[in-house]
Amino acid sequence: IFYEFNYRHMANTLSLYRTVKRLGIPDERIILMLADDMACNPRNNYPAQVFNNENHQLNLYGDNVEVDYRGYEVTVENFLRVLTGRHESAVPRSKRLLSDEGSHILLYMTGHGGDEFLKFQDNEELQSHDLADAVKQMKEKHRFKELLIMVDTCQAATLFSQLQSPGVLAIGSSMKGENSYSHHLDSDIGVSVVDRFTFHTLAFFEKLNMYSNASLNSLFNSYDPSMLLSTAYYRMDLYKRALNEVPVTNFFGSVMKTIHTDSAYTGFLAAHDAELPLSVGNNILDHVMLQNEASARRSNIEEMNEAQLMSHGWTEVLLEQLEGKNSDVVVMYGLGTMGILLAISTWLSM
Amino acid sequence: MMPPSTARRLCFLSLLLLLLLLAAAASATADAAAAEEFTEELLLRPLPDRKALAHFHFRSSAPPASAAGRHHHLFPKAISQLVQKFHISELELSFTQGRWNYEQWGGYDPMSTNNAKPPGVELWAIFDLPLAEIDATWKNLTHTLSGLFCASINFLESSTAFSAPRWGFKLNEGNLRYGALPREAVCTENLTPWLKLLPCRDKAGIASLLYRPSVYKGYYHSQKLKLKSSQSLGIILDQTLTVVLQPNTVSGKQLHSTGGQLQPSWSMEHLFSKKLSGKCLVSKSSRVFVEIEKGIVDNVDKAGSDVSSNNDLFVLSTAPDRSLKELDNLEVQSSSLYEYDVNNYNSDKPLNVGITWKLPLIWSCTRAPYHASRFLMGSGNERGSIAMSFLSTGLDKQLVDSSNDCSIKAVVFQVVPWYVKVYYHSLEVFIDGNSKAISEVVDKIHVTPSEDKLLPGTMEMLLKFPCSMQLATLTLDFDKGFLHIDEYPPDANQGFDIPSALVSFPEFNSSRSYPEADPLFVSPLLENFKEDGVVKSYTEVLLVPLTTPDFSMPYNVITFTCTVLALYFGSLLNALRRRIGEEERGLKKAGILNKRGLIPLLIAKLRGQKVDPSESESTSPASLPRSKLLLKVVFVAVVAIVFHYLSNS
Repeated sequence: IFYEFNYRHMANTLSLYRTVKRLGIPDERIILMLADDMACNPRNNYPAQVFNNENHQLNLYGDNVEVDYRGYEVTVENFLRVLTGRHESAVPRSKRLLSDEGSHILLYMTGHGGDEFLKFQDNEELQSHDLADAVKQMKEKHRFKELLIMVDTCQAATLFSQLQSPGVLAIGSSMKGENSYSHHLDSDIGVSVVDRFTFHTLAFFEKLNMYSNASLNSLFNSYDPSMLLSTAYYRMDLYKRALNEVPVTNFFGSVMKTIHTDSAYTGFLAAHDAELPLSVGNNILDHVMLQNEASARRSNIEEMNEAQLMSHGWTEVLLEQLEGKNSDVVVMYGLGTMGILLAISTWLSM
Repeated sequence: MMPPSTARRLCFLSLLLLLLLLAAAASATADAAAAEEFTEELLLRPLPDRKALAHFHFRSSAPPASAAGRHHHLFPKAISQLVQKFHISELELSFTQGRWNYEQWGGYDPMSTNNAKPPGVELWAIFDLPLAEIDATWKNLTHTLSGLFCASINFLESSTAFSAPRWGFKLNEGNLRYGALPREAVCTENLTPWLKLLPCRDKAGIASLLYRPSVYKGYYHSQKLKLKSSQSLGIILDQTLTVVLQPNTVSGKQLHSTGGQLQPSWSMEHLFSKKLSGKCLVSKSSRVFVEIEKGIVDNVDKAGSDVSSNNDLFVLSTAPDRSLKELDNLEVQSSSLYEYDVNNYNSDKPLNVGITWKLPLIWSCTRAPYHASRFLMGSGNERGSIAMSFLSTGLDKQLVDSSNDCSIKAVVFQVVPWYVKVYYHSLEVFIDGNSKAISEVVDKIHVTPSEDKLLPGTMEMLLKFPCSMQLATLTLDFDKGFLHIDEYPPDANQGFDIPSALVSFPEFNSSRSYPEADPLFVSPLLENFKEDGVVKSYTEVLLVPLTTPDFSMPYNVITFTCTVLALYFGSLLNALRRRIGEEERGLKKAGILNKRGLIPLLIAKLRGQKVDPSESESTSPASLPRSKLLLKVVFVAVVAIVFHYLSNS
């Protein structure tokens, strides 16, 4: 099947997986969803190897990769189940997002996308409303404290345009109407091996180790539109902390602070004192990474454009209205207004 | 001074006491011996078609739970919890990529009957539970295994994916469940958790040889997990990995002076890019075997030399620690096994076993009595046929006297998904081209017919072929079913798979016994070889193209329907509500209507006050509704523009 053309999406996800593991997050805290089997695909000339650079220096697949959802299991339904935690009882723990109200979650998605959607497996799509809804459910169920969404697709910024929940930070590789481009072509494998946004993200992280103090601000400012050929747009209106105070290892790594105690544990009271500073440094981090394949159909995206334009404005207004008030009251008001308008127009035409 | 009788009595009593003590000590040591054990072994074998077979075998055993409790130091806790939670008495899970080449690599020896598995995932389990609970337990088991091994084994949970054979696969009382996923990919992510079940993982010992690109570049690789659990013996977990590789040697195609082509000389470094630098320290024994098959041994005998590690035909790079010879029923030596104890090697002196060929040699491996293969017949998207052929390989001629009423039994087990609706009454048998009655060939048949969307069709057949037969063919007709649009996979146009069928020959016993000198050091690998197993072979997986719908139709239907509804309701409301020309008629009646249109009116107004007062009066009641309409249109346009700007910002 023609999934070979989406090698770079797999390489994107695996590069980030490797970075995140290198910075300290263990496999049981990572949920990796890969829609295709590239590494052991018979068309891959380098079996069990995936590269994100044409120098082939780094085998992203490595020896120790654990993929939680693969192949036909990567569906919008499973993705939303992972986010909201609504699984069947038989689903094992390794396939669940076991986060709580203190968790920092990184959600990375890459694939083919467009205005307000992301394509899954060439026959399904995830809409921005669905994602916003899932994040809202997550917030209500106290499944995260802070969430960073990174999207590397065409028109990525539209995917998180519907988010309303506090504590969410989102960055996309391109704005509405822009495409995200691949970085370079590997003439040996025959396809592009990495996307520009992910390539520059990795270039930023390769300079870091687990104890670096680089802040999210420096990460977001490192994206140069002339190198990306698109504008990396980020949205911080829902995120209360200043970006220059948040270290990147909050989301991309797992840093355990060890605090030396001068004296030994002398019992319950002393232990309690020692625990408090530890809990500040201890971040329980969970990561969800997602990668989707499809062939982009430009005309479809244009149609999507048109459809979304019309409904966009007034749905925003409506949602704002529905936010605080009782929805029944608003509906009554709406019906009343409509009735009045109808009466006026018929009276005018008489 | 004691009388002699009491002294004798005392002696006797002390001896008795000593014996009792010894017995107690012996029993104590026997109890202590029931501890967890781990052994690792590697078997290398050259194959006739210039390839090499590497078979890794790891065995972990845990004593019964009542004795040891819940703490394990070698045995993987994940597996012991699995066994306890799901009450498993036997389980086998295999991940395979590639097809076992029965013609070249053999079909008769224990390696091919135990380790030649169908492509994809195959899972079967025997549960120690009442029959009513087994299906629910199977479902939970598939989910747990899918999480444990990073594969989509959970697709076997629904009743359309698994079956319960009674005797076609393995004789059981209804507590066996079997499922296979032919299209499951196998890659590093399946090997990673499999290796994490070993005490030394892939960091030390024989598992450290597993260089992933070499393993996945092979022609066939199959990783298998087999476990047996009982109250008396505890849990025995066998993990095997069988790889068929093409050694990357520089001297690939050497021409020998005699004109023939030398087989490639390879070593462990050629196969895995690594040497073995020591054993896993917690393993009880760690051994490497090189097996030289009967075909080669016969050639060596013919050449007149003794089958040692250095002879006229080949030489092994390192001298083996021991050599074992297989003795078959006739006490004739067949295959040879050379053993290396990894204990004697370490990182300063790594072990790199290799074979160098001196003379060109062609040999063949023993094959199963019939070569079973399966294929599809028919064309079109409505119906087709499954055909299974049995081609005699000549083995039966050698091993069985071809008297008139001799027959060879074959058991066929086949599971067909419900959307391939097989008509079991259409079974036809052709022996050597002649159609035979079913009762002549089929001894016993058990069919569980498929139910749409509920059950797959299971067929277990016992066939009796005459010994003199060359070729037998069985055909079954089927109709292709329709799936609901949600049930199609994303790549529906590729087709749907019918899993491999299993053909076994109960009269042929595949075992190889290598008598071992040391009774204490029993090798699990050789133990498995000695086990009596029937000769088995798996057929190909069939790919059936089904009719696929036009997946854009739901979108098209919605568009068409909405358009039709909009047109209908629009015209209906128009017809009901709009009064065309009523105002004009009303005003005409009153006689005040000026029949001039709006534009002439405007032009007249622009030209100046050349309008009649009567005309202006008459136009004013008419222009009022018109100007109101204009206002409305302008208002809507302004609102639309404002919305457009708002949405774009």
